[in-house]
Amino acid sequence: MPENDKVLSVEDMHLYYQTSRGIVQAVDGVSFALDRKKSMVVVGESGCGKTSLGNAILRLLPENVHRYEGRCLLNGNDIMQYDNEKFRKNVRWVRAAMVPQAAMNALNPVISVADQVAEPLLVHDLAEDKEEALEKVKTTFDKVGVPRDFLQRYPFELSGGMKQRVALAMSLITDPDFIILDEPTSALDMLTQANIMNVLTRLKDEIDISFILITHDVSTSSEIADMAAIMYAGHIVEFTDAYTFFGEPWHPYSRRLMESVPTLEAEDDTLGFIPGQPPSLLHPPQGCRFAERCDEEFELCSEEPPMFEPEEGHRVKCWLYREGDK
Amino acid sequence: MTAEDNRILVEARDLRTHFEIKKWGFLHQGYVKAVDGVNFTVDKGESISLVGESGCGKSSLAKTILGIHEPREGELIFDGQKIDYGNKEQMKRYQKMTGFVQQDPYGALPPFMSIRKIMEEPMIVNGISDRSQRLDRIKDVMHELKLTPVDDYLRKFPHMLSGGEQQRVVLARALVLNPKLIFADEPVSMLDASVRVEILELIEKIQAERDVAIIYITHDLSTVRYFSRRILVMYGGKLVEKSPVKDLLREPAHPYTRALLEAISEPDASNIDTYKDVPPGEPPSLLNPPAGCRFHPRCKHKIDGLCDEDVPPEFDVGEERKTACWLYKDEEDAEDVAV
Repeated sequence: MPENDKVLSVEDMHLYYQTSRGIVQAVDGVSFALDRKKSMVVVGESGCGKTSLGNAILRLLPENVHRYEGRCLLNGNDIMQYDNEKFRKNVRWVRAAMVPQAAMNALNPVISVADQVAEPLLVHDLAEDKEEALEKVKTTFDKVGVPRDFLQRYPFELSGGMKQRVALAMSLITDPDFIILDEPTSALDMLTQANIMNVLTRLKDEIDISFILITHDVSTSSEIADMAAIMYAGHIVEFTDAYTFFGEPWHPYSRRLMESVPTLEAEDDTLGFIPGQPPSLLHPPQGCRFAERCDEEFELCSEEPPMFEPEEGHRVKCWLYREGDK
Repeated sequence: MTAEDNRILVEARDLRTHFEIKKWGFLHQGYVKAVDGVNFTVDKGESISLVGESGCGKSSLAKTILGIHEPREGELIFDGQKIDYGNKEQMKRYQKMTGFVQQDPYGALPPFMSIRKIMEEPMIVNGISDRSQRLDRIKDVMHELKLTPVDDYLRKFPHMLSGGEQQRVVLARALVLNPKLIFADEPVSMLDASVRVEILELIEKIQAERDVAIIYITHDLSTVRYFSRRILVMYGGKLVEKSPVKDLLREPAHPYTRALLEAISEPDASNIDTYKDVPPGEPPSLLNPPAGCRFHPRCKHKIDGLCDEDVPPEFDVGEERKTACWLYKDEEDAEDVAV
């Protein structure tokens, strides 16, 4: 395998669903690239297509797919060209794993957590026998902070935070290159949430791994994000490093989103909000999809803006940043 | 009764709500002490937040105050009158004066009822039999909540509305009987950040106009200061700190409150290099809560022989501020620990 500094690069990814009311353009021409050992956060409101993007990368598709195309390079190999069997054997859960939304409630109630966590190893022939697999489970439990005497417990005997750690251990056990975490802490209490974020921060330091964190919680995502992709109505509208995003984002939507995030230290007691609703992905508007809620709209916005890259590594889909203007 | 007392709408005195656990359906096993000795007051037209983690008893407290659960001990005084949980007539009158805004608007609205039916239901139950009077009240409330044009909305069903609109319908339903007290259980946690603030501002406006008291239940300390002046922090069935929000955020008194504040992430890219200082362990079981202070097994300021034996009373730690923690037993000591 060639040495490559990008662990994942997605180019022009499309995922449309066929429904009885028409075609839903959940992911519509999304591109980004993630450096090895770096983590990124995909933020956006509900219904913007962020979960679909995660599913598209791991090819976890429902039956009603209308269009699924694009390029997806994992360590330089286009995994979109793989057939399903090759994808299952070589990519999913081997090189790229996922902790789906509400994963802690997806654990099998009648199998002990050790057996569940060992399963991916046995299915993918990554362990000689069950003994070896269970040995690996123990070290993975240490990494995520589950006490070893929980090995033979069943999911109902664990608290929410512990179950979430078990789900995380399950995705880590095959030593993948990256893990997609879909809202990993949104159902947890504050202290538990902080605990899980601590675990993720530590894993990032200790092992060679990238996280793709899908969330609507901007504040919490800052705990592990090196890069940030802001999604709106099926598009990535801005892709930049975390310092720019949490400091001074460019796209009008990102700016308004940051204004609506509550903080402890802010001086005044007013928060911003964005009037109106995100557009339906069934019939998205022709031009810029944010135009009707944007207070900087002008004549060009009736056409869809391309991705501009006014600065190295900072891409923004907005006419305000067209070449030679800013 | 003095003029001062007249401002008080709700007063809880040593409220204890315990649920009995039975073995095989009849053998007494013990009590889950969901609410265990809670004292607080809410003024008329005040907004106050109740903060705590899941399982700390905050919903049980809400349900006790709304008259759904009967407390085992203690009393509740509403508008100068002691609430008698056994008296059905009085309870009905009392419950008419209280409203509840649920966390999940979609789950709280029956899918088979039109918005009009949903809004009419509480009035029918409470004996407002005149149709046109009901419709007038519905229209008034919906105008206030910007659910316009009202006639369009009245015909719709919950699934035809967006999350923000659904939450406004839930709020309208709670307001239609002109309550004096509303419990709002995480009213915006299911909504997206960009519409959240709109709803909060709407609630604030209505509260000022109608002089209704609101108790917000939340687990998110970072939003509390946007909608209430005072805050109650609950842990293991007890209130551990009562304070004006601004003072609490600046200088939390109880070690548990400090841990909660420490756990909050600010949207700051430099967080990536830092770890949070989280207390070890889990919240206590309310079936067998630890002796003494319920936070002592997780507390780094624990005083041996005191915190693990005696339940801390409430100490004054400032104007309108009280905390149940032995660290504040005399004020000189308090100086050292209040960081």
